[in-house]
Amino acid sequence: MRKFIIQLLLFLTPIIFIAYFVDVFISKNLKKSNTYAEGEYSTWNDIIDGKINSDIVIYGSSRAWTQINPTMLSNELNLSTYNLGIDGHNFWLQHLRHSLLLENNTRPKLIIHSVDIFTLMKRKDLYDFEQFLPYMLWNNKIRAKTISYNGFDLIDYVIPLIRYSKCRDVKKNVFSMFKIDKDKEVRIKGYQGQDWKWNSDFDKAKKKMKNYDIKLDNASVLLFDKYLRECKDKKIEIVLVYTPEYIEGQKFVKNRDRIILLYRNFSKKYNIPFYDYSNDSMSIKKIYFYNAEHLNKKGSELFTQKLIDTLKTNKNLKSI
Amino acid sequence: MLFNSVNFAFFLLLIFILYWFVVKKSFKFQNILLLIASYFFYACWDWRFLFLLVFSTLLDYYTGIKMSEAKSQSNKKFWFWLSIAVNLGFLGIFKYYNFFASSFANVISSFGFSISPLFLKVILPVGISFYTFHGLSYVIDIYKDRIKPERNFVDYSVFVSFFPLLVAGPIERATHLLPQIKKERNFDYSKAVDGLKQILWGLFKKVVIADQCAEYANMIFNNSTEYSGSTLLVGAIFFTFQIYGDFSGYSDIAIGTARLFGIDLLRNFAFPYFSRDIAEFWRRWHISLSTWFRDYLYIPLGGSKGGNWMKIRNIFIIFLVSGFWHGANWTFIVWGFLNALFILPSIIFNTNRTNLDIVAQGKYFPTIKELVSMFLTFSLTVFAWIFFRAENLSHAWNIITKIFSKSLFVYPMYENDDFVKPLMLLMIIFVLVEWFGREQQYAIAKLGNALPKIIRWGLYYVIIIAIFYFAGTEQKFIYFQF
Repeated sequence: MRKFIIQLLLFLTPIIFIAYFVDVFISKNLKKSNTYAEGEYSTWNDIIDGKINSDIVIYGSSRAWTQINPTMLSNELNLSTYNLGIDGHNFWLQHLRHSLLLENNTRPKLIIHSVDIFTLMKRKDLYDFEQFLPYMLWNNKIRAKTISYNGFDLIDYVIPLIRYSKCRDVKKNVFSMFKIDKDKEVRIKGYQGQDWKWNSDFDKAKKKMKNYDIKLDNASVLLFDKYLRECKDKKIEIVLVYTPEYIEGQKFVKNRDRIILLYRNFSKKYNIPFYDYSNDSMSIKKIYFYNAEHLNKKGSELFTQKLIDTLKTNKNLKSI
Repeated sequence: MLFNSVNFAFFLLLIFILYWFVVKKSFKFQNILLLIASYFFYACWDWRFLFLLVFSTLLDYYTGIKMSEAKSQSNKKFWFWLSIAVNLGFLGIFKYYNFFASSFANVISSFGFSISPLFLKVILPVGISFYTFHGLSYVIDIYKDRIKPERNFVDYSVFVSFFPLLVAGPIERATHLLPQIKKERNFDYSKAVDGLKQILWGLFKKVVIADQCAEYANMIFNNSTEYSGSTLLVGAIFFTFQIYGDFSGYSDIAIGTARLFGIDLLRNFAFPYFSRDIAEFWRRWHISLSTWFRDYLYIPLGGSKGGNWMKIRNIFIIFLVSGFWHGANWTFIVWGFLNALFILPSIIFNTNRTNLDIVAQGKYFPTIKELVSMFLTFSLTVFAWIFFRAENLSHAWNIITKIFSKSLFVYPMYENDDFVKPLMLLMIIFVLVEWFGREQQYAIAKLGNALPKIIRWGLYYVIIIAIFYFAGTEQKFIYFQF
């Protein structure tokens, strides 16, 4: 038995060392990809490497990521701006970006938080999980926040390479570092306007979500409350923004009004502005949207301008 | 908990440590540990069916004792048939009820009547065909006075539920496995190393060969109307490799795992695609099931003792039952029928035991005659697998008619075909490794033994890297559905 154990350990030792080495190699190179995982790596890298340091940050889901142009905000308000919208995720992981931002960057002066009917839900799957892979083994905060999602177990977070063994696509992408013509960065300060026309997403959603009842996640609601309170304590201004939603799409969700009321209540409780653009004139014009929930690039630029105009009128924000 | 999952690796490590370090002083404690581990392993699939497994175990254990204590033949017969009826009853309800109900409705509708049969919404308990056959062989052997009943419930339960073989075999015999369970087991270095090597090769077969072939086989079979005859033929060949890699890979992992605990399981595969005729193929494919049918069905029916008609009848019975054992679908029955048809000439002309040795034993390469025989046998096997893989008979028929059409001669085209050529290269390397290792229990049993350790280990590292590189989403083993 002793001989067996010794031989086994001798055999496994190089594997363990190599596994760590390869994990570092894959993680480092994957993070360099500009297009894989919807280009989320550039945002994560900027947060973790302390490269945000902006006066204004934009939080939210894809409805922040594709709809609020930080460059326009910077130019008009003379304040550095970064969009931290995370595609497909609710507040649970939006908050992860917030806490990593505070840990590694200077504190922002203003947070523009794009909220919507899905913000206080918590999805079960780790959507676009590839974006977390390079950090899962190495970043405790990312581990703590993502481990509760389906798809990855504790061993994926503690043993090198295990998580990568599940993703053949990732293994292919690792070698993108050797490409001569690297893909261009798709996000500018975290923002990516989508130059798309109206697609079939709306019809699909119509079928799938008719009379949809949003189930709020209690832990997310409490976390949202805590987050607003802490920002208040830290003197970080927040504005809640409900970005335009195509009018037909607003009929799907049964408890939509109740959710919007919840944001209004938060707004009152913490005395923070809540700008609801869901009934803005843009919301009846399909030309500005590529689906019911998302503005296209043209719509996002028009909306960003409207938001800038509103922000300019806010007395509290003038002091920033 | 799949064999090709990291969870299983940790589970195995934990049980191995407990087995050889914590409870090593008594094989009785080791058996208790194996039983707990086996039930936990099974519960990871679906804990509700654990009750069915325990009930089935209790039934055979109890009827076994009752048969041996029976004072009259009729009493013995009663307990025997009770066990057979309940075992087959469970199998019938869970596996075949819906098939019979829908087939009956189809027959009735062909007479112009319409009935809507009651279908059961139950999932098939994993491994039910395997552990039921374990139990059946046990009670039949007791009934035939070949063995004495096992009175230690834990030992008997380990025989039925031993986790490496629980969900997909090999189908063990009480005469082979129980004596090993009932005696002290000492750690054997060479056996354990051999077990690890067999697990490694099993993983390679599953992850690198079967799962990669599965991607293309599934794509081609699931969209068969879109492909030419040549592509469909390639799809059938991919499936032929998939099912071999999948099932023999599983068996290798099961046998290797058991060896880590000092237990030898029955061999299940012996390089079947190097067979020179169908009879040889069936001596080399799913050996534990083939021999089960031989011992408990073919021989009791008279085997090869009677005249030609009796032999033909018996051959058709065992192959049709074998097909039906695989699943409640006419495709499996036709698959069994085809194999019976293929083997028939050798049975009639008494040539079924011509090729008992290993092909080209002691030589590097086969003769032209052997090569042609192997090619023909392989072709017949590929043809039969089409039925095994198809969704239904018309699906299989459509594929076959397309293969035997002009479109067989066009260049095969696939979606995502950038990986097809590397995959074919991998398959060729795999066939070569299997060919040069065909005289061993598994292909890499003696791979690099003559080389310095560092090179030998290097070869194992290459296999591990390939497994890591090709691992994707964990694909279930095909035979779990049976």
